[in-house]
Amino acid sequence: MSQTTMQGPTRRHLSDRRVIQLFIVPTMLLLILMNIFPLIYSLYLSFTEYSIISTTAPEWVGLQNYRDILSDERFWENFAITGRYALYSVSLQMIVGFGMAMLLKEKFRGSGLLTTLILVPMMVSPVVVGVFWRNIFNPSIGILNPLLGYQNLETSPEWLVEYPLYSIVIVDVWMWSPFVMLLALAGLSAIPDYLYEAAAIDRASSWFQFWRITLPQVMPLLIIAVLFRTIEAFKQFDLVMGLTGGRPGTETVSVRLYREALQGQFETGSSSALAYIVLVIIIAISNLYIRALNRVREA
Amino acid sequence: MTRKLGTLAILLAVLFVGFSGNSAQPVADAQDGVTELTIWWAEWDPANYLQQVGNNYEEETGISVTVVQEPWGSYFDRVAAEWAARGDSYDMVVGDSQWLGQGVEEGHYLDLTEFMTSEGLAETVTPATLQYYGEYPAGTGQYYAYPTEGDANGWAYRKDLFENPDEMAAFEEAYGYALAVPETWEQLRDIAEFFTRPDDGLYGVGVYTQIDYDAITMGFENVLFSYGVDWADENNNVFDVVNSEAAVAALELYKELYSFAPPGTDNAFFAEMNDIFINGQAAMIMNYFAFFPALDNPEINPYRDVTGYFAMPAGPDGDRFAALGGQGISVNAYISEERQQAALDFIRWFGQEEVQAEWAALGGYTCNINVLGSEEFLNQTPYNAAFAETMTFVKDFWNIPQFGQLLEPTQRYLHSYVVGGEGTAQEALDGMAFEHDEILIEAGLVEE
Amino acid sequence: MAQVSKAPRSPVLHSTRVDKVGFGPRLALRLRASLVIILTIIMLIPVVWMGMTAFKSRPDAVAAPAKVIFEPTLEGFVSLLTTRRQLLPDEAEEYRQRDDLNFADEIALKRGQAIIGPSQFPKQLLNSLIIAGVSTIFSVGFGVLAAYAFSRFKIPGEDDMLFFILSTRMLPPVVVTVPVFLMYRELGLYDTHFGLILLYTAFNLSFSVWLMKGFMDEIPSEYEEAALVDGYTRLQAFRKIVLPQAVTGIAATTVFSFIFAWNEYAFALMLTGDTARTAPPSIPSRIGTGGVEWAAIAAGSLVFLIPVIIVTFALRRHLLRGVTFGAIRKG
Repeated sequence: MSQTTMQGPTRRHLSDRRVIQLFIVPTMLLLILMNIFPLIYSLYLSFTEYSIISTTAPEWVGLQNYRDILSDERFWENFAITGRYALYSVSLQMIVGFGMAMLLKEKFRGSGLLTTLILVPMMVSPVVVGVFWRNIFNPSIGILNPLLGYQNLETSPEWLVEYPLYSIVIVDVWMWSPFVMLLALAGLSAIPDYLYEAAAIDRASSWFQFWRITLPQVMPLLIIAVLFRTIEAFKQFDLVMGLTGGRPGTETVSVRLYREALQGQFETGSSSALAYIVLVIIIAISNLYIRALNRVREA
Repeated sequence: MTRKLGTLAILLAVLFVGFSGNSAQPVADAQDGVTELTIWWAEWDPANYLQQVGNNYEEETGISVTVVQEPWGSYFDRVAAEWAARGDSYDMVVGDSQWLGQGVEEGHYLDLTEFMTSEGLAETVTPATLQYYGEYPAGTGQYYAYPTEGDANGWAYRKDLFENPDEMAAFEEAYGYALAVPETWEQLRDIAEFFTRPDDGLYGVGVYTQIDYDAITMGFENVLFSYGVDWADENNNVFDVVNSEAAVAALELYKELYSFAPPGTDNAFFAEMNDIFINGQAAMIMNYFAFFPALDNPEINPYRDVTGYFAMPAGPDGDRFAALGGQGISVNAYISEERQQAALDFIRWFGQEEVQAEWAALGGYTCNINVLGSEEFLNQTPYNAAFAETMTFVKDFWNIPQFGQLLEPTQRYLHSYVVGGEGTAQEALDGMAFEHDEILIEAGLVEE
Repeated sequence: MAQVSKAPRSPVLHSTRVDKVGFGPRLALRLRASLVIILTIIMLIPVVWMGMTAFKSRPDAVAAPAKVIFEPTLEGFVSLLTTRRQLLPDEAEEYRQRDDLNFADEIALKRGQAIIGPSQFPKQLLNSLIIAGVSTIFSVGFGVLAAYAFSRFKIPGEDDMLFFILSTRMLPPVVVTVPVFLMYRELGLYDTHFGLILLYTAFNLSFSVWLMKGFMDEIPSEYEEAALVDGYTRLQAFRKIVLPQAVTGIAATTVFSFIFAWNEYAFALMLTGDTARTAPPSIPSRIGTGGVEWAAIAAGSLVFLIPVIIVTFALRRHLLRGVTFGAIRKG
């Protein structure tokens, strides 16, 4: 953002150029080394018919895998489910997380402890979360229905059957709203007071302050939160498998991918193609966010 | 600052060393004889029993045996990754019967035909287990595994309910015959209906419904087989077989059974079956015999003293079949010949009758004919008699390399119909037959 | 210089923000506090439920309807922390006669088993600590450096580089595990601590670079410029001026990176065997003959949760401190 005026190398031991290299090269190098082989290898496999457990070499089939996927209705359904899931859970996480941050931004006695406690759901291993929430949702042995006041087993809802996708959204929101909260909190605490003071002098309403000062100032961090949560939502796997086992209506692309790639099927070629389609979609969505991010930063 | 530079340099150096690092595998030196053997199995109690048996082997021969346990949910994926790498991390693997096709056709398993037949080892186990755990392709007499953990579906039931005089009288009045262990699936249905009393928190039956991998298919095929239907006819034709009238009747019965199951068993497998039995919600449950030891433990099952067990009931024409679980032990084709020999030596030792008797005593489900038939075995636990009976009429899903592809639509259609209530049984089975046919055509197993 | 490094750190206690007034700041604050408490309780119910399950016996864990009051037992912890051997009936009888059994032995004996040693869990926990700890230090360290460079300098191809960094997180792990597995076997990194550390560092880098850049962008560059004019080198300015101001961001990034590495499941499962296996793959799969051992899973999850809570708690002050550089912005 803010550039430093390039001054002469008066007493600096390292030129800024060297500093940049020193700071960036390790990161780039590590990422390239770690990703280059898996990326290129699976890109290659996506154009072949191949199974990892097979002794037959990959057979080049060109775009066949991509054509098959794009012409299969079920894949479109998988994408639609994933899109809906990402939309619901990311927007709810933003609302809940940002709301909690607004509640917590003024310190009060014990607020530090409470904030830390709210972070706990995020710390539980996602696989365990899936297993335990499945237990919690269970109408017979779980505690959700009793807590909601349902007494009769026959009339109480079977969450994972009646609202499977929403159940996953609920758990995802429970787990990851604290993430948004923490980022928003950090953003909120960085807003300089003088902005509010100036608004107070202008007798601006709190509503106006929220829309014109608070939100725009936190926006960059919130967009980063949205960006990462969306990427994760598209990759969401542990929770879905733990909660519904990917039953119809909750078969996200990741679950589909898992079923094609492993689970006794080992369609390595076509699952790689599917992965690349997912990648392209995530790239497109991320680009939109990044554009929004840059626009917000410039404003 | 120079320090900082130095740190960075070290970090980078570490990175590169890591990458160019030694690619030697941590496998023992084959030069001075094999001193240890590694067996892969899923993470559960029978694997602990096998480890115990293995410890005895070390005492006798000095060769240590390690049973490496991988979590069930990812066990197959791990083994497949090892196959992909042509890896030698394990010497023997206790693999599912369904894996045989993939393991054999892609050359991951060592051919054991000679080993199994030349010394009569093949004759020591029951024909059904030899056929399903060891033989591939079916009927060829070629063997790739020694049947290790025999397993199949059976039933546990609550004797206190079944033998309660009031219940017996009420049942007889309602259904016109005496309440007893069901002999047919129709009777089982009646009993399930009879005991379904949501107001008392009691339900008639627990059946497999899980969509993951193979659970609901395993549960359903118990009924399907008993209704005289197989997954295909001898020409691998599926039409009018898996979607025949009898199959539709079987599926409708299975769905009806699910309607008598406790709420929350919408995605249930062996764990949930035991859970609903232990908590008193279910009068009967289906489950693999491997999970019945828990029910015979008063610390786990409060109803232990009133728990009985029975084998699968019969279909309308008297056919009885049970879905097969269990595993055979195979030898890794990618290890050195010396290690292969050492692995075979272990299996030969393991297959001896005394060792099999001990294996059974610990809780392993032996496939050895003599041990299975011994008085000692039959009386050892309350379920062993039902187990021995069951092992005479087991039957399995496809075990060709395409079984994974075949399972996926099977699971999807069954679950959608039974749990999701979508469409009719006929529609579900028609859809399934269609997809099976496509897969079999692509595999070259059926003419178009 | 002196005046710069003494930037005000104490939190602003008396805010002049208007959003605090309205219907009496005290009442509003109290309302907020009670709302937050209710929210916290709701968020914690599932975790508390898990904690309770850890102390339940097998029948209590699956009781219908759910049991809130029960007799606590350590069964779950015993089966989590020990390896046991099945006793043959006569062995068990003999074993029962012995009087040197401790409470854990007694618990195991009720299931007809004898404890023969510790389980893999403590070792896996240690592996998790090493791997998550070291990879977090690396990823946050590299991430802070790169984020600073991206934030402060105009770098040719900056946007593309940033996007590449982000994109390394986009490919679903299911697909990448197998190629990475094959690569790791070739390089001898399979089942090594170093292999997982590398992988988690790379995995978290994208996140830490982006998040830190977000924080760095918020930090005004006036301080550093003043310091540079005063003759600080770039590195000195970075260490003495920028880092202290970025503490909140670093703390948040550390917590997130640690949590991701700590709980990672898919790669840990595929890329480790006996030596470097971390705890997550084996916690949810405690299957005995009785099916799922709920208490053992809960106990494992609980024990596994404690280090993360400690890390978060230790960083709490920094996490919630807030960046108080209002002074210079005003000026």
